[in-house]
Amino acid sequence: MLRYFFSRLVTTVLIVFGAMLLLFLLTAVVPGDPAVTLLGPQASPELVKRFVSEMGLDQPIHVRLWRFFANVLSGNLGVDVVSGRSVWSLVLNVLPDTLILTFSAILLAVVTGVPLGIYAATHRGSLLDNVLAFVSVAFIAVPSFVIAIFLLLIFSIWLDWLPVLGAGRSGDFWDAARRLILPTLSIAATWIGFIARLVRTSMLEVLNEPYIRTSRAYGLSERMVTYKYALKNACIPTIAVLGLGLGRLLGNAVFVEIVFARPGLGRLIYGAISERNFPVVQGAVLVVVVLFVLINLVVDLSYSALDPRIRRDGAGGSPV
Amino acid sequence: MTNTINRREIMAGAATAGLLGALASGQGAFAQAGPRKTIAVRIDRDLTNLDPAHRTGAWDGNVCRSVFQRLMKQKPNSAELELDAAAEVKQVSPTVVEFRLKPGQIFSDGYGEMTAEDVKFSFERIGLPPVGDAKPSTYKGDWVNLDKVEVTGPLTGRIILTKPRANLFDIAIGDVSGCIVSKKAVEKLGGEHSVKPVGSGPYIVTNLERQRGALLKRHEGYAGPKPAYEEIAIRYIGDPRTTDLALRSGEIDFAVLSPQAADPLRSVAGLVVTEQPSIAYVWLGMNTEKEGLKDIRVRQAIRLALDVDQMLAAGYNGKAPRLNTLLPPQILGHWKDAPVYKRNVAEAKKLLADAGASNLKLKLLILNQPAYQNMALVARALLAEVGITLEVDAQEGGTYWSSGKGDTGKNLDLFILRFNGKHDPNFIMQWFVSGQVGDWNWERWANPDYDALFTKAAGEIDKDKRIEDVIAAQKLMDKSAAFVWLTNEVNVLVHRPWIKPAAVPGWLDWQYDSFAVGA
Repeated sequence: MLRYFFSRLVTTVLIVFGAMLLLFLLTAVVPGDPAVTLLGPQASPELVKRFVSEMGLDQPIHVRLWRFFANVLSGNLGVDVVSGRSVWSLVLNVLPDTLILTFSAILLAVVTGVPLGIYAATHRGSLLDNVLAFVSVAFIAVPSFVIAIFLLLIFSIWLDWLPVLGAGRSGDFWDAARRLILPTLSIAATWIGFIARLVRTSMLEVLNEPYIRTSRAYGLSERMVTYKYALKNACIPTIAVLGLGLGRLLGNAVFVEIVFARPGLGRLIYGAISERNFPVVQGAVLVVVVLFVLINLVVDLSYSALDPRIRRDGAGGSPV
Repeated sequence: MTNTINRREIMAGAATAGLLGALASGQGAFAQAGPRKTIAVRIDRDLTNLDPAHRTGAWDGNVCRSVFQRLMKQKPNSAELELDAAAEVKQVSPTVVEFRLKPGQIFSDGYGEMTAEDVKFSFERIGLPPVGDAKPSTYKGDWVNLDKVEVTGPLTGRIILTKPRANLFDIAIGDVSGCIVSKKAVEKLGGEHSVKPVGSGPYIVTNLERQRGALLKRHEGYAGPKPAYEEIAIRYIGDPRTTDLALRSGEIDFAVLSPQAADPLRSVAGLVVTEQPSIAYVWLGMNTEKEGLKDIRVRQAIRLALDVDQMLAAGYNGKAPRLNTLLPPQILGHWKDAPVYKRNVAEAKKLLADAGASNLKLKLLILNQPAYQNMALVARALLAEVGITLEVDAQEGGTYWSSGKGDTGKNLDLFILRFNGKHDPNFIMQWFVSGQVGDWNWERWANPDYDALFTKAAGEIDKDKRIEDVIAAQKLMDKSAAFVWLTNEVNVLVHRPWIKPAAVPGWLDWQYDSFAVGA
């Protein structure tokens, strides 16, 4: 297990380095002059010069690349040249909002999608199974921001139950919780259907395995067979998909953050790209990348904990 | 098979219902938190830097003008100046302005009484080269020709210019670059001053959070008249559709929208929708250095082939006023007799034939926003009728705003541009001088006579003579046929009936402290 852990850790570090290199190159080749975009017509030549120097854009590309890596490795994500604040502080300011939104959406999707998938698998061909199949596919096909707008119209305008804006008074728990409901539902809706379909398919596969038949033959209850023996193995593909899906969730979060005017990393990155605010783009995207690979590392490790064959294969194979 | 509900399910159901009830009970709390005491306003760009010297746009500037005092400030809903922090401001010569501060004007957070030293510090940190490691101000140009500020007493001083300047009061003294900061606070707080500004004005910033907005509270130590509202909650909402829903649900009380975005709100009960002409100006420009467009007859043909009214109907639902010259009607020196070009296909074709321009293919650069996209589509159809093939190149902000810079700008053909204005002709005219070619003069139009008129008007203290110079400059622009003026836009104000919003005409510069209680 330890060997597997270190091999995954090395891969993770390499992925982060690769992502950093790609990120740097992308911001270097993207068209648009950041001095012009950020400073606008008011900028004097001396300010433009200073601005370009502060961003390091007057340096050769290899120097900029070296500085970028050196800064990141020393824990410095740079300074937002517009506000003068550190990129870390900007990211930390909105990171909790993004994490809360993303994880609450995942939680809702799992808590709802897994039982629905199990029910559909154990009641194959029933009315609810058919309805679920239709609804799941419909929700998977509809983008989150469309769902967001419909939810706003229904729950905020027609029923007047929940607020429109996704962010309220800072530090007010109940206000924050109320404002989280619709953004969470918007992102989770697609995933509930997806997870339900995935769990259903995996469960049907597992329920046909010989060991399940054997368990039943031993006289174990259907509940124990389903939830203790079948579900554990059926969940493995779901866990893997959830890890990979985090990137997609963060992507969906951008649109949802815009629709609900909610603070978050997605909105920070979107605004920074529009303004060519490269230090903020690089810093914020890097945090997303690190989050993404760390969560996938955890997923991989939990995946291997659930299925010992994986860590044996990943560790270079075994004659057994 | 029987369905039974057990004790655990009942408890879970009750807990869920309780949670939902608790969540729903808080609904509307923000909107109802003391209407007429607190108002929530929407801004469409995030607040970034509330230090007047380093503000990043009108959104920051509007907070600055309610947090800081100036020697003089605009009257409510007017561009005319009145005394603010100063008891007296006197122009004693074309290059010297004397001021005397009112006593007892107190900065917030215990930074004491405002003095002439604070005024000197505030103006010189923007207008003069930075001292030591300080960052130069983006708005240095607002204090152009500033030589120094002399302190002659605790509350008195002299602003000394290197040469006369006509717009000193409108652009520098009376606007955001004239905001008076506390020297002690800036020196002590450093960069923190950009998020926790210390002023002596009607409001203080109690909370500023990126991507959320800010909360302004009435400054009890303010020496002037108390503003009508105790709190102004400034909400950053980028998306107009979300703004629409937030207005309907009562979460915000005031927003400025485009005509298209505001139209669905006209029939909503409890909202007032009014239109205000803007001083932002939009035009279709032509690169006078580009092959094909070098010939003035081609530019004249394009001007005659276009139908500005049709373009505006498509771009602004017909709600935006037509502009026929650079300066909108609200600005000093507006050329009211400027020609109103009517579409004339035959004449346009003749001009193109005379210029030997057949099968002309041009590219029109626009920002990827609906109004410009709609206008560009109309322009493409109109130009096709005279034999010009137009390719529309819609770009996002970063790429778009860099397109006219340096040598890249040489490749432009046609473009639709929008610039924000100020209540001063020279401020608006400055982007079209020869020195701006390769920066903001995307037409690459270099005319020494225009440059001379611009410089003369900038230093002309006599108002009538200045108007003459400014109109003469606009005539030169018209003669070049490099500009097809489109509109000075319209701002649509949407608000609750119990608010009377206030702004300097043009609605770029809001006056939060003058928002009044309506009917």
